[in-house]
Amino acid sequence: MASATTPEDLAKLMSRVAAGERAALRQLYDATSAKLFAVCLRILSDREEAEDVLQEVYVTIWRRADRFDGSRASVMTWVSTIARNRSIDRLRARGPMAYADQVEDLEIADGAVSAEALLVTAGEEGRLHRCLSELDARTEKVIRTAFFEGVTYEALARRMDTPLGTVKSWVRRGLAKLKGCLAT
Amino acid sequence: MSEAADLTETEAFAAEHALGVLSSDERRRAEARMAAEPAFAAQVETWRERLNPMAEAVTPIAPPHALWQRIERSLGANDNTAQARGLRFWRSTSAGSLALAAASIAAAVLLANRPPVVIHPPAGGQLLDASLVSQTGAPVPLFIAAYDPIRKALIVTSLVTPGNDPAHVHELWVIPADGKPRPLGILEPGKTREMPMPDKLLPSLAAGSALAVSVEPPGGSPKVDAPSGPITAVGKLAKI
Repeated sequence: MASATTPEDLAKLMSRVAAGERAALRQLYDATSAKLFAVCLRILSDREEAEDVLQEVYVTIWRRADRFDGSRASVMTWVSTIARNRSIDRLRARGPMAYADQVEDLEIADGAVSAEALLVTAGEEGRLHRCLSELDARTEKVIRTAFFEGVTYEALARRMDTPLGTVKSWVRRGLAKLKGCLAT
Repeated sequence: MSEAADLTETEAFAAEHALGVLSSDERRRAEARMAAEPAFAAQVETWRERLNPMAEAVTPIAPPHALWQRIERSLGANDNTAQARGLRFWRSTSAGSLALAAASIAAAVLLANRPPVVIHPPAGGQLLDASLVSQTGAPVPLFIAAYDPIRKALIVTSLVTPGNDPAHVHELWVIPADGKPRPLGILEPGKTREMPMPDKLLPSLAAGSALAVSVEPPGGSPKVDAPSGPITAVGKLAKI
């Protein structure tokens, strides 16, 4: 699992993937696919669609590996971004109000600190979770929901039965606070 | 937590793009801006790095075993060795023409063994169908749709039990590649309806377009170009 593969290992794998080594892509897949699948599934809440997107994600990684720049991004952020963007594009194709209602049956993980994350409180994960938990509960919840479910402001506003402008200002203020907290 | 300074409009937009709350149009604007403005792209990347630990904390879910094989099969056409990258253009051209040649030979052989048939392609596009599955709870089909290019009509069956929610109606939408929903009409629970499609809608009825059903007040969505209520079922049109 990703936790057993260090960021340095992943970076080495990426350069081998960029050189066209299929075995390296397989190793990257083994190390990251369960995380990325959970990310796609969380946004799309449809297994079949999440599988289709995950396939596209690894083909994209394979084709664009030479554009990965280790000095600008970590491998996990780079691959998760591809997975989230592909899933969100797919979700947006369903219309702006997709998932204006909460999906009840897919409480995979609410993003609240998992046992695994608690073990790494010293790392980046731990810092972000600490900073998120310092926000007021409502702001924390709306930022986590936005991130994990990839829904629009419009859908969030409807779900929370709150004007769009209000939700937007909660998120923006929350993000500003996060930035400040992470910088300390 | 100490009071934080507000983000500038540009940084807020970058952060929102990284968070994933923007609409399709705004996402396209953000992507275009990233391509044109390296400073903006760097802000988005910094925000992605800041927020990504959330993705890393998800409980992993293993994808099905067969998925790796699917991925590996689709790599064939995208070989990535340093050498191959230099040859990619050449390869894609020649591999493409080879595949085409093989396909035409196969077709020729097939045709040679069959009596000649004259096929008139229907004027109004292709025969398509879609199963619209529920967006809450288990994904069960709630509506079945088929597009008949000869009648230029969409035939839609509602599998919803009548009488459950007399205060609302189901409105059908088509969402083509441009992402803009077009209203198609109201569906009655438990009934099949043949909906003639005006010519201007025909280009939207293509394989890959999505069909969606929203829950609306009687008479349908008060907005012309978007559902006002929750989406209850979604499906994609595919060639039969």
